[in-house]
Amino acid sequence: MIYLSNNTGEFMETLYHLAIPEAFVLEGINMKTKLAIGGFLAIALLIVPLLAHHSFSAEFDGTKPIHLQGVVTRIEWANPHVYFYIDVTGADDKVENWGCETAGPGGLLRRGWKRDSLKVGDHVTVNGYRAKDGSRLADARHITLPDGRRIFGGTPGDGGPGDPAAKSPGA
Amino acid sequence: MLREFCQWLYDSTIGTSIRESIWVFPIIETIHVLGITLLIGTIAILDLRLLGLVLRREEVSRLASQILPLTWAGFGVMFVSGFLLFWAEAAKCYANPAFRIKLLLLILVGLNPLVFHLTIYRSVLSWNEQLVTPLRARLAGFFSLTLWGGIVCAGRAIAYFQK
Repeated sequence: MIYLSNNTGEFMETLYHLAIPEAFVLEGINMKTKLAIGGFLAIALLIVPLLAHHSFSAEFDGTKPIHLQGVVTRIEWANPHVYFYIDVTGADDKVENWGCETAGPGGLLRRGWKRDSLKVGDHVTVNGYRAKDGSRLADARHITLPDGRRIFGGTPGDGGPGDPAAKSPGA
Repeated sequence: MLREFCQWLYDSTIGTSIRESIWVFPIIETIHVLGITLLIGTIAILDLRLLGLVLRREEVSRLASQILPLTWAGFGVMFVSGFLLFWAEAAKCYANPAFRIKLLLLILVGLNPLVFHLTIYRSVLSWNEQLVTPLRARLAGFFSLTLWGGIVCAGRAIAYFQK
């Protein structure tokens, strides 16, 4: 027997009746099954928002900002995310190639970042956040293009720092 | 061999233009997501009937014959839109663990109805009206729902392993 408080049980039963159309409601279904289905729906409702719109925190770490300056070596103008790669020269003169992820072509174009706004050999400045797996990959939140424009590079609604679609004051 | 094929698809004119498009890629993506409702929605109706959870007064064979054309239509939409998305991202999909798991699950989910139709479904007329269907039919319904659920999850996860 599963012990459920009256309120929880009622909530799950209500969920069950909300979710299952009248025509599908089973004859002679017992309360335990109703509660089980309702419980499953409750868990599903909790999980779905966690899965949606977390492409930033799924890959990148909002507590690890990074500032990169370098020369563009490659551009992947592609859906669903545009990537560009830059050679960054460190203090010890060692060159490291960094991948920078941005929004897709549609999102960038709406912000005035055209396909030819960035070319191989261009010098760019990127302010972003490092990938969680520690690889040389960053979510490029702000990019200073060769013409001096500073453009938001993130995906709207990804919940990352500076996301214009987020409602939080930290945005 | 397979990797070269994926790279060739990726570099092809059509693959490249879908990948670099502004509208075509998201439109195909949207169709692929909407298609889930047609494909898995109709499959779920039959699976849940086999499990004895919905439409228990309907004969299984009648339900199946009405629903199957819709399921095939959904499969067509999913296959075409899915292949176009793969075409655009083939070289990245090749190395993507989520994509590999998805393909594996797709093979398994294809075997399930094959076994079902070749075995227990042959005698459907003898259990057509049963509220609770034979164990093997219920198992087929259960595996179908579980595998399709896994395929949707693996499909969604592709985006998180695409580098």
